[in-house]
Amino acid sequence: MRVPFSYLDRQFSAADAGAPKQILDVILDDIKEFVKSGDFTLGKKSEEFESKFASLVGIKHAIGVNSGTDALFLSLKALGIGAGDEVITCAETFIATADAIAITGANPVFVDVNDEFTIDVDLIEAAISDRTKAIMPVWFTGNAPDMDKIVSIAEKHNLLIVEDSCTAINGTYKNKHAGTFGIAGAFSFHPLKNLNVWSDGGMITTNEDQLNEQLRMLRNYGLRSRDEVEVFGYNSRLDTLQSVVALRLIDDVKFHTDRRIKIADTYDQAFNQMPQIEVPERHSHVRHVFHLYMLRVKDRDKLLQYCIERGVEAKVHYPIPLPYQKCSQHLGYKRGDFPKTERDCNTIITLPAHPYLTDDEVNYTIETVLSFYKANPC
Amino acid sequence: MMNIPYVDIGAQTKSLKKDLLAAIEEVLDYGNFILGKEVHTFEEMFASYCGVRFAVGVNSGTDALFLSLKALGIGKGDEVITAPNSFIASASVIIAAGAKPVFVDVRDDYNINPALIEQAITPRTKAIIPVHLTGRPADMDPILEIARKHKIQVIEDAAQAVGAKYRGKKVGALGDTGCFSLHPLKTLNACGDGGIVTTDNEKIFEELRRLRNFGLVNRDESVVWGYNSRLDSLQAAILLVKLKWLDEWNAQRRQNAKLYSSKLDGVVDIPGEQPHEFCVFHTCVVQAEKRSELQDYLQNKGIGTRIHYPIPIHLQPAAKELGYQKGVFPVCEEQSQRILSLPIHQGMKEKHVHYVADNIISFYRGK
Repeated sequence: MRVPFSYLDRQFSAADAGAPKQILDVILDDIKEFVKSGDFTLGKKSEEFESKFASLVGIKHAIGVNSGTDALFLSLKALGIGAGDEVITCAETFIATADAIAITGANPVFVDVNDEFTIDVDLIEAAISDRTKAIMPVWFTGNAPDMDKIVSIAEKHNLLIVEDSCTAINGTYKNKHAGTFGIAGAFSFHPLKNLNVWSDGGMITTNEDQLNEQLRMLRNYGLRSRDEVEVFGYNSRLDTLQSVVALRLIDDVKFHTDRRIKIADTYDQAFNQMPQIEVPERHSHVRHVFHLYMLRVKDRDKLLQYCIERGVEAKVHYPIPLPYQKCSQHLGYKRGDFPKTERDCNTIITLPAHPYLTDDEVNYTIETVLSFYKANPC
Repeated sequence: MMNIPYVDIGAQTKSLKKDLLAAIEEVLDYGNFILGKEVHTFEEMFASYCGVRFAVGVNSGTDALFLSLKALGIGKGDEVITAPNSFIASASVIIAAGAKPVFVDVRDDYNINPALIEQAITPRTKAIIPVHLTGRPADMDPILEIARKHKIQVIEDAAQAVGAKYRGKKVGALGDTGCFSLHPLKTLNACGDGGIVTTDNEKIFEELRRLRNFGLVNRDESVVWGYNSRLDSLQAAILLVKLKWLDEWNAQRRQNAKLYSSKLDGVVDIPGEQPHEFCVFHTCVVQAEKRSELQDYLQNKGIGTRIHYPIPIHLQPAAKELGYQKGVFPVCEEQSQRILSLPIHQGMKEKHVHYVADNIISFYRGK
């Protein structure tokens, strides 16, 4: 059996003859209508999607941009963060989080993770300096950081919060949606996200009117009108074609995340009793949307190989801690600075948990992992 | 009365709809939306179209320029020379890279005046960005000569000029890098933002490929802080369909320009073409007396026109910090008061051009 990590071919498979219309056909019909308009940059469909997204998240403004990375970058730029400033973030995340900070000219300041793949809030205050302007908590794997604590630290030290909620659409913390805790939140619509478009894409959420205005200018060359440029800006727009795609797929977000949660629960129950596997603690006040289903395991490399050989496309997100990447060299971190992140890089594994897996495939994945430890008791 | 919109993307897309949708469906079947094989194929085809070794697909023409600057190591403390009559992006990328734009006035051909470049060079000057505005190549020989002499780099802003030639060589093959926009309003256009950089230099090529994708050299290793600026696979598939038509579209635009030129000579200032130039007329910019009256008159006759651009970059509110005063670039500033872009897109046939030209003639006759 093959249990694929990607699900795009399944999500967008064409309808069999006589079968009900698949999402693909519905979207293609929309596109056929849309191309006639020639309205490919910003415009009506783009506004329609922004407003639908804002109401899904429960926020006043949503601003479509070219990617989740740009959502973070433009938020920082709009908040005036740049050279000489520091932004605190988690050491365990995708490169884009730190990258978005670094390309503003500011320095990312890394803080180690807790046992649940989010920033260890007890270590944040020690990382604050005179130069710290913001905290960028990451909803890594789709899990909520301890937002109560982060908000209270930010208030105490007068810091901004820009949430990297790129992987957490439909995720909540105490019933509040990801991306609504700070001054700005960033989302990604990359093809492997729970709201996915057919290219790169991103969104910024904010309740601030002024920030909203500024971001709309920044993403579109600082243009105030067709001809007047108020500030030097960027070209970072969510393609309107992708807004057309997203306007359909946004209706599937709940199905996607519910199904992921269900699969994660099945995995949790199967793996909880295994001494070689550490299932992170789950919290009832968090809706963890399992963009990634990650575990800490013994004999990781061997298990990974074992899974792949048996068709289970397991992965590692990610094997090299960000502070030790070559691009981070100038920040001066050394091995040992982030013990939990380092531990994770050697022990984490990501199992396929996408919404288009069948129950058989989920069971096969479980059996594969269990049979590995049966054959290799460690 | 005819209706001649300034642009008609809808009509252009409609005529290729079947091919475009088939191309989109192929991407969907394959499911690799990010840096898929379509991007690679388009890069190869585009490089060979321009006559260069390498091309790198990025998110926009703006990013093509920005990433070129970054790949050439240009940043804080550096100066970059460019023209003040371009779209804002030509200058905003310099600011975004942390460098300072230094403007040089243009000639009658709307392109940077090479005779004025040397006096703008300082020890901090790292590059010149000549803009091939309107689809006409800038005067590259003297520009390249100056660049060699002062050991500075040349980044071609070819956003409007895909297919244009200078002394038989395609634009994009003349400088250290060539930057193209594939925006919906361009002649070779995606159905969204898109851009591409051309170069013959393998090192620059490698650097650009890293920079557009988070500095990653493989899935897990990042060697420099980079960006997320990738040409979408879906857009590359669309562009592959359209690239086949590009020469035909450019030919139609050239034919339209020729007809305008023969009909409007002596009525308005209309661009000619020198023997060593091959212009692709992304825009057909004329200079006209009583411009705004003419524009209104044409609008009433169903003819859409535009102004590219009414406010020179150095006089934009955003450029205040650069400290330029009104009057420093007399040619550009005078042009900005008189220029008008006539519709010239490839969907226009002879009768449409006649209609526009005849209306311009009758406007001035009535005066």
